[in-house]
Parts: sequence; structure tokens; C-alpha cells
Amino acid sequence: MLRLLDRKMAIKFLKKFKDQQAMRRLKSRDREAFVKVYDENVSEIHRFVYFKVGSREEANDLTSIIFLKAWHHIQNKTLEDSNTLRGLLYKIARTSIIDYYRETGGKKTASLDDETKKIDLIDDTINPQEKIDSADNLELIMKQLPRLKDEYREVIIMRFINDLSLDEIAEISGKKKGNVRVLLHRALTALRELVEESEADKK
Amino acid sequence: MDLSKKLKSLKNVAPDRQWLEGNRELLLAQISNSGAANLPAWKIALINFSSFTKAAARPASAFASFVFLLIMGGVYSNQFFAQAKPNDSLYIARIISEQVRLNTTFNTEARDMLAVRYASEHAKDITSILADPEFNKEENKQRVEELNHSFKEEVETVRSGIGRLAASKSASEAKQPAAQTEDPLDIVIAEGEKNEQGIQVQENNPASEVVAGILATVTPENIIDNEATSSPATTTLETETNSEAEPVVSSEADKILEEATQLFDAKDYEKASDKLKEVDEIIKK
Repeated sequence: MLRLLDRKMAIKFLKKFKDQQAMRRLKSRDREAFVKVYDENVSEIHRFVYFKVGSREEANDLTSIIFLKAWHHIQNKTLEDSNTLRGLLYKIARTSIIDYYRETGGKKTASLDDETKKIDLIDDTINPQEKIDSADNLELIMKQLPRLKDEYREVIIMRFINDLSLDEIAEISGKKKGNVRVLLHRALTALRELVEESEADKK
Repeated sequence: MDLSKKLKSLKNVAPDRQWLEGNRELLLAQISNSGAANLPAWKIALINFSSFTKAAARPASAFASFVFLLIMGGVYSNQFFAQAKPNDSLYIARIISEQVRLNTTFNTEARDMLAVRYASEHAKDITSILADPEFNKEENKQRVEELNHSFKEEVETVRSGIGRLAASKSASEAKQPAAQTEDPLDIVIAEGEKNEQGIQVQENNPASEVVAGILATVTPENIIDNEATSSPATTTLETETNSEAEPVVSSEADKILEEATQLFDAKDYEKASDKLKEVDEIIKK
């Protein structure tokens, strides 16, 4: 019987099993499960929020709020309401960011952190050359990312920075897979134009 | 560099480690107030079972395979399927038996260690498959791409697992010396009597003799020196230095994993596999 099963199916099954297991344990108020979910997702969610709001302090605060909201959401709703845990965290992140924009009077942060803070954000464990490359790329793209339309920026962060699949992005954003693909293509083209423009200005 | 690669490099943007740990504690304190606690083993087993049936498309066959895997036992099924490679149809059975074993290991540290070991083995298996020219052909392009992606996921699992293990080990080591340290002065304060002038040293008490010796050498100048050297800040610094011993191991493993990823990207699979073996050695230590 096992021979008939495809590897893709196995991966899909395991993902679903892990999701179900994590959500059921969270629903049973399992402290250990919360630590596990936090450790596995915090960096990714923080990165998503940081690139959306552009400030480290605000990203820190919002990330805390998102995990706490996810905990309460799972306690209060039935598990049938949520598809995947990752999707749920991203959905909560999106609504929390919208609330944040609303509270700050619709001000959408136009730039990411200043020079000194950028370097702090790069993981200490990477080697020095890569750190320099990352800092250069970071500087160039960080300057251009905030200039993109919000929905373009969002799909770029999810797909290229946080490695989400098209299916996952479609689930989170409530769009069809085909529409996400088109949106991604447009977003990447827009970012490429901005980067090339900026590089031409430098020369 | 390609724009999508540049964007991928932004994956290195990570929040401050200190903030991560501090925030975890803060959130744990908050959820504990709403009744969070560690679940008993039987409840976790029950959740695992219901998750397993829920995840399966056919609950009846899922139930049968779950019971089968449970009866076979994590150990036997693990040994039996351990030889299955990512390219084999039996690989799914290996992954499931590993998951069963992971989910029936209730010691967090042992589970993390097991997860790191499994991920490292998966990564090595992927390199050995891709090193095979019979498999790594144009016609298998899609599967090769999937394996490339899986390799990166496994490396990421190893990296985060080692980080977690190092952090928990250093945290437990940092607690132990603090509990074991006994200051002779504390003993005297506990055993002796205090009056308004200060400490009365008891005679015929070995601890008192130590303090008497210390008091004999005290001058106004070295009081300042002593204050400077025994300030809480210095103590904290010493504790931090001790607790950094494990993160060094973690960063060493990170470095080797990074090299392995680079070699893998450069399609030097044999060397990438050697690097992963080096990581195994570090894990064993």
C-alpha cells in the first residue's frame, strides 16, 4: 500500500498532520506547543512585519501582538475555521498591520530603519563576506521596497523572502492562484524597474 | 546578482536574539495567566492520534496504518525504513516512522536532538541521490528541484535545532553554577549575629576565620577596588561569558552548514555531504 503513495502526498500529509497537531495542542492550552510554534515561526513573521511597517521597534511590538492574538484566536474559534497554522499567523499579521496603520492615522511607513539599525538586523551567524553582500543588497532593495504598492510588496515578501508557496499566498490573501502569479510577475517587474532606475541614478 | 536571489538574501534579516528570548518569556507569562500548562503524555498521544486521522484523506486506512505503525514500534519501523532514500517509494514510511518516534518522545531536548539527527540524515541522503548521475538528469528536472528545496529545508531544520539545543544547554548550565556557589561571607552572616556596628565574627568557626582574614586586609583603597571587581555587572558578565560557550558551538555548526549549502549550490555533493558529517560530529559532542 505504501508503495503506491507518492512522495508529494507524503509531504502534504505530514504538513497537514503537523498543523493539526500544533493547533489541537494549542487549543488544549499546551504551553510547550506554544513555545514550539513561536520558535518555528517568529523570525518569519517578524521579517514579514518588518518589511511591511519598516521599523524594527514596531515590528517587535506587532510580532508579540500577533502571537498573542493567534493564541486567543485558537482558544476562541473552532479549528475548522483555520486552514493552516502558518496561514493563520499571516492572516493575523495582515489584520494587525492594517489596525496599526489605522491607529497611526493611515501613515504607511515610507522607509525602513536607518543605517545603524539595518546592520543589527542581519543574522550574526553568517560569514563576513556574505554579511557585506547582504548589507549592500539590503540597502538597495530596502530603499526600493517601500516605494512599491502595498500588495506588490506583500507578495514579494511572502514569495521571495519568506518562501511561501503560491497556494499559501492565495490562501492568505484570499485570491486565486492564477491571480497571485500575475500579481507576483507585476510586482517583480515593478521592483526591477525601481532598482535599475536607482542604479542608473548612482552612475 | 539576480533580483530574486538578492531578495532571497534578505532572509538573513532576523530579529535580535535577545529580543526573541525575552519576548518568548513575556508571551509565556501572558499565556500562563490564561491557563496554559504542559499537557500530560496521554493527552498528547490522544491529540496525535486525532491529528493523524484528521490529516488522512481516508480515516479508516489511516487508523489501520496508525495502529500498524504503533504496533511495529518506533524503533523497529525506524530501523527497517532507515535505508529508504528520498527517491524510494518507501521513503514516506521512513518519514512517518520518524514522525511517530518524534511525537512519542516527550523529553524536549531528546526530541530536538532526534529532529536534528533526522534532518541531517535527510540532507545527506539528498546529496547522495543528486550525486548520482543516473538520477540527476534533465528528465528528472522537477524532482531535482524538489530535492534542492527539501535540502534547504532540512539544513534550516538542523540549524534551528542546533540553536535551540545550544540555548537550552547554556541556560541550564548558567543556572547550575549560580545555585552551587557559596560565598564564605554568606555563611558567616547566616551563622553569626549582626548588630548596628556590623558583623560579629564567631570564634572557632572555620568560615569566620576566612572572613577574619579578609577583614584584616581591608583598607579604604581596596574597598573601592573590591567594589569595582565584585560589582553585579561583573558577575553578570562572567555568567554571560560562560553561557556563550554553547552558542560558539552553534555558530561553528552554522558556519559549516553554510559551507555545505554553498557546496550543494555549486553541485559539489560529495563535499557537501562531508560537511554534513562534520556537523554530525558537532552534534554528537
